[in-house]
Amino acid sequence: MKTIGIKKSFTLLLATSMLVVLALSGCSGGKSAGDVVPGNDGDSANSGGQVTITHYTIDSEDRTFIEKLVPDFEAQHPNIKVKIEKAPYEQFDSKLQTLIAGGKSPDVTSHYGYGGFAEYYNKDMLLDMNDIIKEDGFKASDYNIPDDLMKIYTVKDQVYGIPVNMYVSLMLYNKDMFDAANVPYPPSDYEDKSWTFDKMVEDAKQMTHVSNDIAKTQYGVDFTWSERDMRPLYFGAEPYSQDTWTNGGVPSETHFDSPEVIAAYNKLFNLILKDKVSPTTEWSKSVAGQNGDAFVTGKVGMTVSGSWSLAGSNDFPFKVGVAAVPAGGNDKVRSVLFVDPLLILKGSKHPKEAFEWIKYLVSDEIQEKSIELSGGNPPVNTKAAETYYKHFDGIDAADVKKVYEGAVEYGFESYNHLITHYSQINDMFINEMQPIDTGHSTVEEVMPTIQKKVMEIIKR
Amino acid sequence: MSTIPTAGPGASPSVNKRRRKIDAFSIASFIALVVTTFLMLLPLFFMVSTSLKSKKELLTFPPTFLPESWQWSNYREIFDTLNFGQMYMNSLIIGILTVVGTLFSSALAGYGFARYRGKGSNLWFMLMLSTMMLPYPAIMIPQFILFSKLNWIDTFLPLIVPAFFGSAYNIFLLRQFFSTLPDELFDAGRIDGCSEFRMWRQIALPLSGPALATVAIFAFIYSWNDLLTPVLYLSSSDKFTLPVGMSSFTSSRFRIPPWHLLMVASVLAMLPIVTLFAIAQKRFVEGIVLTGIK
Repeated sequence: MKTIGIKKSFTLLLATSMLVVLALSGCSGGKSAGDVVPGNDGDSANSGGQVTITHYTIDSEDRTFIEKLVPDFEAQHPNIKVKIEKAPYEQFDSKLQTLIAGGKSPDVTSHYGYGGFAEYYNKDMLLDMNDIIKEDGFKASDYNIPDDLMKIYTVKDQVYGIPVNMYVSLMLYNKDMFDAANVPYPPSDYEDKSWTFDKMVEDAKQMTHVSNDIAKTQYGVDFTWSERDMRPLYFGAEPYSQDTWTNGGVPSETHFDSPEVIAAYNKLFNLILKDKVSPTTEWSKSVAGQNGDAFVTGKVGMTVSGSWSLAGSNDFPFKVGVAAVPAGGNDKVRSVLFVDPLLILKGSKHPKEAFEWIKYLVSDEIQEKSIELSGGNPPVNTKAAETYYKHFDGIDAADVKKVYEGAVEYGFESYNHLITHYSQINDMFINEMQPIDTGHSTVEEVMPTIQKKVMEIIKR
Repeated sequence: MSTIPTAGPGASPSVNKRRRKIDAFSIASFIALVVTTFLMLLPLFFMVSTSLKSKKELLTFPPTFLPESWQWSNYREIFDTLNFGQMYMNSLIIGILTVVGTLFSSALAGYGFARYRGKGSNLWFMLMLSTMMLPYPAIMIPQFILFSKLNWIDTFLPLIVPAFFGSAYNIFLLRQFFSTLPDELFDAGRIDGCSEFRMWRQIALPLSGPALATVAIFAFIYSWNDLLTPVLYLSSSDKFTLPVGMSSFTSSRFRIPPWHLLMVASVLAMLPIVTLFAIAQKRFVEGIVLTGIK
């Protein structure tokens, strides 16, 4: 009798608790993305097969501005509804993987998280757009997208992404600090042959004042050109074998222990250890705090950075200029390009409609509009780019244009989009190189280990 | 009455001596306490101070201790920049329902484990405890598939319903507490014709205030701070919780994060926890002591 009583109460409790939960949350019953939306009751006009596509992006103002474009797009395409799904930067990748594994794959996204294009490609997450492009008659030139950029996300003649934004690396300099040291501003023209790495070091020396008082110390340059594994390229050394760029980001060989690569790293670390014109990581961290960039606090004369830094330049507490990245010994490569594509995921149930949305986003008018809406995202569209150059208060539009065009001319697509397992490679580099930063080991000691570990990661 | 021994006239010198000794020691420890308290409060102080600075002032080095100009408008701005009020409400709703769910289910299950012996009840208990070993990422994807099949994506359900099915840690905590209640109480209840459920509700629960308060605080803090689950299950901005909104502040790799606003959000986000703790502090501390000792 007792047990029956317990059972009864338990069933009753379970039932009531479920009811309570359901009742409380009943108002938020959701529709799942990607499903065909049935016509509203009694509304037969809506039976034309309206579909919903989802665009998955980072939850930050320079990415979610596309929400403002949706109403206009939906008005033009009554059969397509667009849902913007978002996640904070740190959780971008894990949410994407979960969505795909859970059968809720978004339709359109980009490699906005840590993972890059090559990783997605090698995980077989991406849809080959060839058929859709053929059927649609899409031509990159109609959208003012340079052919070179289309090639970046084309593997073995199959198109996997349409470029939408293009960031370059450029040099930002602190005009106030140059004026105070009486050093002429660096040139924005990439063809100016006098602007070399050694000249940069010379200029930097004149602005560097190291003092025991951390607040009075300032440095001439912070040369953080791209991610660590890419830096040898700047001096003409090639760490990854050529076939990397043709077979989907899997290099057959890497050369991180070659004399050329080691020499290149030594040149960079000498800025800190020998020439002492660059800050150590510890100093940067203590000065810049959570912003992570000592240049922003006005304690560094020049920095090499992505063009995204321009968007925040209005907030810098000093006058800022843009210059060409000095020549380092590689005649072809001086700047890093970060081209963000729009990708359709394999799990997409409505790839054609997704492609319509992509076309809309890269159209001349929207590319131009997006500059303002996003607060300064650089478009791939060469026509809209003219508007972009003029977007930054206090920075000469002619300089921005020169630097941008030079950077494209001397640019190489960032490794992080092109090499498989990139997030692991990058983490490994940061960890392994730390002892060099602090002077506990030399480049020569560390590189053989790195070489071994890179190959291990790639073979995974 | 006072328990301090009243010293007779003859004993007074030695008492004075001892008192002086204790005084020197307590002054030292008092100073040590003040210093550590100050150190502990420093980050908190910086949080509040940063929340009142202007964006330009954030970038200056060395950082200012107090804001040069007090930007009280930051506290208004946060509501304009973010859907802050809505996020706050969402977090509160989820947090409160999680507490209700956890208290209800864990107390019931803990009571069961404490008071009934059956075949293999120890095995079940072990099995339940072993679920504590499973890290969340291990069950993340299967759980996501389950909830997406139930069509619960982009609702609060995946964040609330699991709480109604108990959690190993809390069940364990409450079981330990319920085991300490004397059997005589329940025997008396049974003789008076009390049903099993009523004994749980009217005998066990009222006697378990401290333990329940502890569980409630843990559950609330966990839900309030949880980031990954809301990120996975919520996709419309109007359903986002505070941690999701706040981590979006630093999401742009391309901008200087608005730390001042983030600090405003942190100050405001801390309030419910502080309030809850202040209200439940007595019981909370008691709870830890009791569950720990008995």
